[in-house]
Parts: sequence; C-alpha cells; structure tokens
Amino acid sequence: MLKSYVLDKPDILERLGGDEEIFAMMIDMYLQDVDSNCAALGAALASGDAVELQRAAHTVKGLLATFSDDSGSAAAFALEQGAKASNSAGFAEAVAALQARLREVAAVLQAANPG
Amino acid sequence: MNTVLIIDDSDINLTLIKALVLKLGECNPILFDNPLKGLDWCRTNVPDLVIVDYMMPDIDGLKFISAFRALHGRNEIPVLIVTANDQKDVRYDALLGGANDFLTKPIDRIEFSARARNMLSLRQGQKFLSGPAEHLAELVEERTKEIRGRERELIFRISRAAEFRDPETGAHIQRMAHYSQVIAAGYGLDAAAQRLILEAAPMHDVGKIGIPDYILLKPGKLTPEEFEVMKGHAKLGYELLKDSASEIIQAGAEVAISHHEKYDGSGYPKGLVGHKIPIFGRIVAVADVFDALTSERPYKKAWPLDEACRFLEEGRGKHFDPLCVEAFLAGWDQILDIRQRFRDEEVPMI
Repeated sequence: MLKSYVLDKPDILERLGGDEEIFAMMIDMYLQDVDSNCAALGAALASGDAVELQRAAHTVKGLLATFSDDSGSAAAFALEQGAKASNSAGFAEAVAALQARLREVAAVLQAANPG
Repeated sequence: MNTVLIIDDSDINLTLIKALVLKLGECNPILFDNPLKGLDWCRTNVPDLVIVDYMMPDIDGLKFISAFRALHGRNEIPVLIVTANDQKDVRYDALLGGANDFLTKPIDRIEFSARARNMLSLRQGQKFLSGPAEHLAELVEERTKEIRGRERELIFRISRAAEFRDPETGAHIQRMAHYSQVIAAGYGLDAAAQRLILEAAPMHDVGKIGIPDYILLKPGKLTPEEFEVMKGHAKLGYELLKDSASEIIQAGAEVAISHHEKYDGSGYPKGLVGHKIPIFGRIVAVADVFDALTSERPYKKAWPLDEACRFLEEGRGKHFDPLCVEAFLAGWDQILDIRQRFRDEEVPMI
C-alpha cells in the first residue's frame, strides 16, 4: 500500500523556477489527461504486450515525478522494470494500484487548484 | 529567433517544455507528440535545438537522434535528450549516439534553462563559423573599400590644404595624379601600382605647408636663398608622411621626396641618378612638370601643348626618365581626356 499523496507545492515550484503560471497549467493538463493515462495503462495490460506496458508505466512514472510523488513514481518504476523483465505475475494488481494512484493525485491537485 | 524542436509523446511534458523554452526568450518552439512526424518536419526544416524524449512509441529518442543525424546538414545541430533519473545507461547511449546533453525528468527549470542556453550558444557559434566564407569576404571587401575611400578623401583634402596656399589648384592635383596613372600603365606597372600612384601622387607637394608665405606666395623670382628654402618642401613632405602604416601614405612620402629628382642627378634633395630615383618619383616628375607648364598661373601663361611636349622630349635622359616620357606620349589621348575632365574651375573628387 502506497503512502498517501501529499502535495509538496514548494518542491514542485522550485523545479519550475517558482513559476506559478506553469504550475497551474501543469495541474490543468494532469487533470485533463488523467483518464486517458489510466486508460492507456489498462489497455497496455489488456494487450499483454510487455513493451507496451513498460512504456505506459514509464510515462506514468515521469508524470508522477513531475508532481513530486516519489512513492507513486517508485511504484510506476517497479511496474516498468517488471514489464521489462517480462515478469508476468502481479501486473493486474500493480496496474490497478497505479491507476488508483493517478486518480488520488488528481483529487489532491483538483482540491489544491479549484480554478 | 531560435527554432526549438520539442518531441515528446506526453502532452504534459510538451506543454511544460514549451513553457520553459518560451521563458528562455528569443525562441520559437515547434511541438510534435510523435517522433516520426517530428523527423518528417526535420527533412525540410532546420531547428536550432532539438529536445527529444527518450521513451516514445514507434521510435525512441535514440533512434530519433540517429535518424536525425543522418539527415543532410543536421550533424551539428544540438540535441538534448530527456530521460528518467534511473536511465543512466540510456544517457550514456544517447551521448555516444549523438545527443549533446541530457535532461532528467522531472524537469528542473534551472537545469533546463542552463543546458538549453548552452546548446543555443553552441548553435549560434556554429552558425557564425559556418556562415558562407564569401559573405565574410564580401563584408571585408566592402569595409576595406569604405576605409580606402575615406583614406583617399582625407589625402585629397590634405593635398588641397597645401595647394590652397599655392597658386596651383585642386584640378592640378587631379590632373597630375591621373597623368601619373597613365604613365604608370604605359611603363608596365601592374594595376595595383597604377591605382597606388593615382592615390599617392596628390601628396607630392604637401610639404609646401611648411614653406613661409613670403617665399611660397612671392610673385617674382626667388633669390637663391629663398629657392633653397622652397626646395625644402620635398623633405618636409616626406617628414610629414613617412613611417605611415598606410600603403598610400607611404607611397605619398616617396613621391614627396623624389618628385624633384632629375634623371641626370641634377635634381633635389638627394641628387639621385637614373633608376636610383624611385619609379613613382620619376613618373610624377613628368606628370607634375607637364601640368605646371600647360596651366595658367598668375605669373605666367599656359604653354601650348606641343611646346610642353617638346620640353618633355628634350628633357629625356636629363630631367626625365626616357621611358616615362615615352609612356606619357604614348598615352596622349588619355592625357587630353584628363585635361578635359579636370579643368581649373571645377574640382571633382577622384
């Protein structure tokens, strides 16, 4: 079970050079894309293509890292590595967990950025 | 304006990188979420910087870089590859495979700006160095022409300053300079030397600036003592012009000190004989004397042309270098043209 996501705005902002505008834009984009990102993970799993799954996990890893979600990013990395090694076991569970994480982060971001 | 090509399959990354690129200033970002489309664009466009994600569908960042580098003229364009923190091996491969530098995700603005700016500076340097050599040569030629033009104008004005104090006129300077050029050509000097004497001959009497008015402007005949002072203008002109870095002024110094030398050694200031007199001095002597004879002065009428020519012919081997007289007479049609072009009342620039 992953630690709950806590928005570390100062950390994210520091990476963005303190640019609130880019920060707000990124949250908007995340919220906009969260459904398709979840769907892409699901589709990759359903396809049974390890490379596809690896890539989808990689994308999610970067996405969560952008929002300073170290735990979520680490989970995505584990999935990416697993898919790379073609370990068939546990993917469904890992994908579901990651999808849940994406939505959890979305809820936190939504709350932080109601506009 | 720098064209920055950004290729990333993730919209959020594209948007983020685009925003960061725009913050750099003077950049025009071009976005592609598909590397193959980006590559297609590169076939007809040359970006100044490429920022490409590593992990993408169809072809990854490494394959994109190698395909991009294979395009003609894209070998030196800076490429930044974006990789995850954990992809050390990918970074190595990318650097070996043609990427100039990398960015790690999540992207940090400070790091991004520094690396992107470095890459753009590199690109600016490349553009500067690879600018067509002809363009640079043209630029140098154009600037040199301007400088030479200013130099010539300055020389003409300095020469005029000396002539203002003298009954001689600006037109005299022009005529004798052009006569000198005709003689130089007839003598067989090359085009550069012909041009040089045209530009340097006007300075022949610049030393008259240092001659007192009571001698320079004296209406009657000079006493032997006064004539000695007057003769000093050759040396004075030389002193004024010598040791210049300018080729034209150096030639002017030579003309100033040698234009009153005579072929048989009876001239001044050094009494040089024959070919010991610099060629420019021998040429200017003919041109200057001919124009002085054929011009009207307050104290004398202009000589008829045939008499002046006879004077030159009689002076062969005595006053003048015979070959210079021959070259002058051989260019007679041009001499007449020059007389027409530069009349005493008008003083057009060279």
